Amino acid sequence: MLLTSTKDLKDKGFEEILNFFRKKSLWMLHYCTGCGAVELPPTMTSRWDMERFGMGPMATPRQADLLLITGYLSVKSLKRVIYTYEQMQEPKWVIAFGSCPINGGIYYDSYSVINRLALYLPVDLSIEGCMPRPEAIIDGFTKLMKQIEKGEAIGYKKYKENYEWYKKNQREVLERTTPVLEQEE
Amino acid sequence: MEQKELIKYIQENFKYDKNIQKIDDKQFSITVEKDKILNILSFLKLLDFKQLALITAVDWIKENRFEVVYILFSYSHIQQILVKTFIDRDKPEIETIKTLWEVASMYERDVHEFFGIDFIGNDDKRPLILHNWKDKPPLRKDFDSLKYSNKIFGKFKKDEEND
Amino acid sequence: MTEILTYLGKDEQFEKYELFFGPNHPGMHGNFSYILTVEGHTIKKVDPDPGLLHRGFEKLAERRKWMQNIALIPRICVPEPDINEVIYSIAVEKLMGVEVPLRAQYIRTIILEMARLGSFLFGFGGIGGATGLYTASYWSFSDRDYLLDLFEWLTGARVYHMFIIPGGVRRDLPSGWIEKLLETIDYLQKRLYEYDRLIYNNPLIVKRLKGIGKLTKDEAIEYGITGPNLRATGVKYDTRKMVPYAAYDRIDFEIPTQTEGDGLARATQKREEFQISLDIIKKAVKDLPDGPVRAKMPNPLKFKVPKGDVYVKIESSRGEHAYYIVSDGSDKPYRMAVRGGSYTAGLVLAQKILVGMRIEDVALWMATMDICPPDFDR
Repeated sequence: MLLTSTKDLKDKGFEEILNFFRKKSLWMLHYCTGCGAVELPPTMTSRWDMERFGMGPMATPRQADLLLITGYLSVKSLKRVIYTYEQMQEPKWVIAFGSCPINGGIYYDSYSVINRLALYLPVDLSIEGCMPRPEAIIDGFTKLMKQIEKGEAIGYKKYKENYEWYKKNQREVLERTTPVLEQEE
Repeated sequence: MEQKELIKYIQENFKYDKNIQKIDDKQFSITVEKDKILNILSFLKLLDFKQLALITAVDWIKENRFEVVYILFSYSHIQQILVKTFIDRDKPEIETIKTLWEVASMYERDVHEFFGIDFIGNDDKRPLILHNWKDKPPLRKDFDSLKYSNKIFGKFKKDEEND
Repeated sequence: MTEILTYLGKDEQFEKYELFFGPNHPGMHGNFSYILTVEGHTIKKVDPDPGLLHRGFEKLAERRKWMQNIALIPRICVPEPDINEVIYSIAVEKLMGVEVPLRAQYIRTIILEMARLGSFLFGFGGIGGATGLYTASYWSFSDRDYLLDLFEWLTGARVYHMFIIPGGVRRDLPSGWIEKLLETIDYLQKRLYEYDRLIYNNPLIVKRLKGIGKLTKDEAIEYGITGPNLRATGVKYDTRKMVPYAAYDRIDFEIPTQTEGDGLARATQKREEFQISLDIIKKAVKDLPDGPVRAKMPNPLKFKVPKGDVYVKIESSRGEHAYYIVSDGSDKPYRMAVRGGSYTAGLVLAQKILVGMRIEDVALWMATMDICPPDFDR
């Protein structure tokens, strides 16, 4: 098949080819947001060797495809993570590690850690466990690759569609002007 | 010096009111009045207690006072001293010790953020750890962490509306 | 060459600008940030910006029972979590007056030293990463996995073990574990000579590390620098020897020191202490007594700790890690304050010592000082 016009490029068949190549070369952003990051070096290096899946660390968000939220996320980090996510170019995916981004995990009652990441960023895949083992991480990555190939991992499109909703949630946490609890005098 | 000699030396040479209590073989505490804190700390620093390990506070809400704890260590005596003092909870103020130790300035900034204690003379009151904090200092006993978390982070219902 | 690059005309000046070094920076160790004011390549002012990993442990511990906290506290320091359980257990035992069986003390010692080895291996990788010698990180992370496998066999978890509890340790060593441990120790001993050839005898690394962040004895004590970094300046002090805990008072070991106090001395010091840790494990295994591994404790969900307060510190690979624990006689801690091993180094000393260095030295300085953000963010 010869692709000559833009109409051809937007053809459904071509999107599938793109997705096939995208899943084969995922670059993850080198940003350790939490304690799950301690299992990433073993995953990256000789024993589990992530590079056989065509994955590697990337220093700058502008050239990365994958944002890993490795564990809990404090409010201060959340702001940086949102900046980072918005700097990344499409297509981009978010993987959440461990139980903390799902429901707060062991920090469910902490004043500084968010309970549910999906309220602030579109999460494509969650890997459970505290902390996830390298095997689980690799399993998660391969699942994401399958999703990408099928065209199901479309968190970044959801983020654009529901941008106002996400921004409202983010603002509620990050840009408060009044105390959360009533001051009892 | 051994612990016994050390306690005896402090009893004899530090003139102001104090209460010395042994915790274990390598550790004892001295409780002094709030305005004598600089005196005792400089006295101990001259006695070769050169390492300031930690400044922290305890909120005794029932007695309506804060306990400020300075933890010192000496590499020559191999002894740990906890210097304690009590301040009023309604007017939490104490003198800074940043002139004695440079590290104290950061610890005081930390304690100011988490307990709301003012260190007179230490003007560095910029927020260090928390982001955009509007409530009462979080380590005070009357701050309810679970209630706070539920109110601000626990919005599970909204998510259903979106789906 | 450098003269030409940095040459400035009479009225010319480098422009001052702010550089956010971290949190999203490949040279950063963990989630932490320095705001550097830079003139050309030279750092003029440093402003640390911690709190990105703040979870409020001190508050959370007050909300949980004495035993429940065991699941919470290992998460304070990620590369070396076992120190937290040990400090907490020692504090509870001191307040309650519980005598821990000798076998449990020896097992604790072995666990602590294994965690220390793991942390040092992480440190070797850090130095490799900061100098562009990625072979070092590939080697050390895979060698660390041998230790993690042993931990997994013993406790069921790779990173957070929750194995040491007030009163002793959770269960006895499984059969065959000790033999495997000794095998691993022999392997690491052999590897250490390889690391010597790769890192410490490597002229490029030696030249790069020399003179980074030089500290004198007095400065180090004044700034509260502890552990291997303090010994690298020449102070012969080790908490394991001077204020012994676990079974360190029964095990004979040397305290190596350096004199220079710069990056090279700190790295060499860690290499020497790696050897000491291997020796301690061998000796502890040799003397390991028989007997129970847990003292009799009251019902774990209900027990109360008598009124009192205690400051417990132990020697971690990055310095003095300590808790100040206050009990008011109830079933929960009244207050738990954490002193992270790298608090003063990362937040206070950095403001002074990084001034005048170049931007690329910051990552290396952090690697040699073993700055660990989770332990001062708490």
